[in-house]
Amino acid sequence: MISLKKRCLAELIGTFFLVYIGTGAAIITLLISKGSAPPNAFNIGIGALGGLGDWFAIGMAFGLTVAVLIYAIGHISGCHINPAVTLALWAIKKFPTGEVAPYIIAQVIGASIASFALAASVGMDAVTVGGLGATAPFEGIGYLQAILVEMIGTFLLMLVLMGSAVDKRAAPGFAGISIGFTVAAVITTIGNITGASINPARTFGPYLGDLILGGSNLWNYFPIYLIGPVVGAVLAALIYNYISSE
Amino acid sequence: MKCYMCALEGKDTDAVSICVVCGMGLCMDHVIREEVEIWEGGFPLPSKKLEKTLPKILCKWCYEAYKSS
Repeated sequence: MISLKKRCLAELIGTFFLVYIGTGAAIITLLISKGSAPPNAFNIGIGALGGLGDWFAIGMAFGLTVAVLIYAIGHISGCHINPAVTLALWAIKKFPTGEVAPYIIAQVIGASIASFALAASVGMDAVTVGGLGATAPFEGIGYLQAILVEMIGTFLLMLVLMGSAVDKRAAPGFAGISIGFTVAAVITTIGNITGASINPARTFGPYLGDLILGGSNLWNYFPIYLIGPVVGAVLAALIYNYISSE
Repeated sequence: MKCYMCALEGKDTDAVSICVVCGMGLCMDHVIREEVEIWEGGFPLPSKKLEKTLPKILCKWCYEAYKSS
């Protein structure tokens, strides 16, 4: 097997591109809609121009990136690029305990570098207007509701991952497309509820960038994006194993 | 079957193998055995290289083409 160091580097690079391209799409959408008056408090700017189409575009930026990364580094590191996926695979004994922490650290570092790279690429507007694409519950969405939504979104992601990749009966070669579509669909629907993280590393990077570069301090929301995705992914893996066994 | 390479040199030698690409008969002096790595698994788990390799029997010309590609 390829060394742990190289696999962690692959995870770091993968998570970097996921966050750079994905949250970059959210930042650019906010910059494009800057100055337009949102019709209500549930609208922060994403959706002001194209309604749910704005979220679809952001979802596709994430989804297409996930899909191509799976084909690029899936055979090297497994292309988890998401601590919830790593923990879920560990929970069903598909991933060694000793490699969980190095993988998660690599993912978090990759996501953080991406957020700083976005600030460097776009300028301080990426922080002050775009919030570096950080996730937070929208107007009227409670803390527990947000955890539930993140849990459901990540449940679907992990269920598709189990069925299209982990299961040996899966049609070979379709995992990337299936999982990419799932990410895009989930973000389109739950984007305007929680920001649609479904990945703790994806939220960690922008939160750290915002904190250091003078943006909003949103860390009180971080448990939403840790508990929801991890519980959702682990539940999906366990339930898939149950429903797919004879 | 006779070794094609030996035939080109004017010798008459029995072939012991066939090039998997072009089908040329080859004697022990002209056969090239290439060991091909086998990797198992993939997304979402890292693929593993198996200890056993897959032998590939080639003639000199196909081996050179294989290496240059």
